[in-house]
Amino acid sequence: MAEGTLKQFIERRNFLNWFLGTTAGAFVFSVLYPLSRYLTPPPVAESTARSVTLSLKPKEVKANSGQIFRFGSQPGILVRTQTGELKAFSAACTHLACIVQYRSDISHIWCACHNGHFDLNGKNIEGPPPKALEEYAVNVRADQIVVSKKV
Amino acid sequence: MIRATSRGFLWLGIAVILFLPVHAMGQPQVENCVACHQSLPDERLAGPAKLFSGDIHAVKGFGCVSCHGGDASDTEMSAMNPAKGYIGKPTGTKIVDVCGRCHSDARFMRQYNPALRVDQVTEYYTSVHGRRLKEQKDSKVATCASCHKPHSIKAPSDPRSSVHPLHVADTCGSCHANAEYMATYKIPTDQLANYKKSVHWRMMANKGDLSAPTCNDCHGNHGAAPPGISWVGNVCGQCHAVNGELFSKSRHSQVFVQMGIPGCATCHDNHQILETSDELIGTREKAVCTRCHTAEDRGGKSAAAMRAMIDSLRQEYDKAHSILLKAGHAGMEVSQPEFDLNEAKTALVKARAAIHAFSVVTLKKEIDPGLQVSAKAYAGGLKALEELGFRRKWLAVSAVIILALIVGLVLKIRQMESAQKSSEKEKV
Repeated sequence: MAEGTLKQFIERRNFLNWFLGTTAGAFVFSVLYPLSRYLTPPPVAESTARSVTLSLKPKEVKANSGQIFRFGSQPGILVRTQTGELKAFSAACTHLACIVQYRSDISHIWCACHNGHFDLNGKNIEGPPPKALEEYAVNVRADQIVVSKKV
Repeated sequence: MIRATSRGFLWLGIAVILFLPVHAMGQPQVENCVACHQSLPDERLAGPAKLFSGDIHAVKGFGCVSCHGGDASDTEMSAMNPAKGYIGKPTGTKIVDVCGRCHSDARFMRQYNPALRVDQVTEYYTSVHGRRLKEQKDSKVATCASCHKPHSIKAPSDPRSSVHPLHVADTCGSCHANAEYMATYKIPTDQLANYKKSVHWRMMANKGDLSAPTCNDCHGNHGAAPPGISWVGNVCGQCHAVNGELFSKSRHSQVFVQMGIPGCATCHDNHQILETSDELIGTREKAVCTRCHTAEDRGGKSAAAMRAMIDSLRQEYDKAHSILLKAGHAGMEVSQPEFDLNEAKTALVKARAAIHAFSVVTLKKEIDPGLQVSAKAYAGGLKALEELGFRRKWLAVSAVIILALIVGLVLKIRQMESAQKSSEKEKV
């Protein structure tokens, strides 16, 4: 092998080694980075389409009170009745989809937009809402409240 | 002693029979009226007998004699002897008397429907119909039998009933939309046609919302009368409570009464109440404010300002909704900003109701929180799209890296092979 050719061969080998090392490193990074992003928990808990575990504990929900929670991208309302029963409904008013709230003074679910009233079975009882709120199933498992859509 | 007791019971029995009201005979009766009438060739006489078996009164055990009197056990024409209480076909006030005999008796009606009101007759005589019948002997006005079709009366909740919510408008319209029949009264006859263009009818007929108002919800049923100018707002306010309350506290409420124009109906019409839109407010085309205001006066300027505020919130909401939709469709997780944006929608609906206070300050209280929520949700959507761009860019970069690695490996293998061949040649 001529001297010039050998020099070229050695240079090419060095470049190739450097090239391989760099791309292999970048490859490992491109695998590890998405993995780390995937493993980092999101800032808020995600819910599935059918059920959500609330960040509230059963003891934190007082009798004759209600709280709004996130069910996917839609609002839900969790109510503890005066008798201590936990109930959950869609919090989107069936009239124009305003977010409803719990009125402890009259023990109704109430929509402030057009004064729509729902009883604690979700039934529309006064004002313009044309139908009842969708009711969800509430299950208390240990110290967790799980709300899920009824089949 | 025994004989004395028996005699006492006998007298008691006779007394009960004598003083028992006619209408208390709600038990199944011997019905010879139907047996004869349904086979008569004259449909005027046979029709009612054929229909009556489906009437709620027949179902409850009442017979022809409960209203018409006479003797149902008599198979001869003597059954229809006035001496036996036969009154024939009642007309005018007699119809009201016949129906009221049972329906105004709380103790009697309780047996059949404890929740049913028993003031229909009293209410009826406060209505335009009842007053004209009583005071002017007007026989053309509606009585009980005009709306509750005789011999086929059903409960109002029965979809076959002439007073079921879906049929009330047509029942009233059978007279009120008949220009020839109504000619003597000199009132419009386009109410039914207008009502059927309204949002109320559309909600009821197309969306199946039976709580949407029909004629009797605004005019009353038995006490039917047009709402007075000063209390139209109260009528609409039964359902549209927030709008009604805001309006009643506004300056417009008093000014409208002074001007002799009705509250809600001045802007929204009465029978042809169309679906509202933001275009109704302001000073542009289609705006109802311009019916009284000019663009230059104080009211016109306020209206224009309120329209601009509503438009800005709607646009900001739409902008945020659109970017979140785009991010969601691209597979990004945007449920939190979407959830937050529900509050902006609530604010927009509340702002539209707050228009009825006709105050820029009141409206601003609803608009500002909505704008803040929309801006936050928009930022969430923007961040999601930036993240999407980042992921796409780095997907391309990693694909190039993988390709380069493959190329590098191929070259390395070739190099190793050529180095191996060179060393084998040198050995040879």
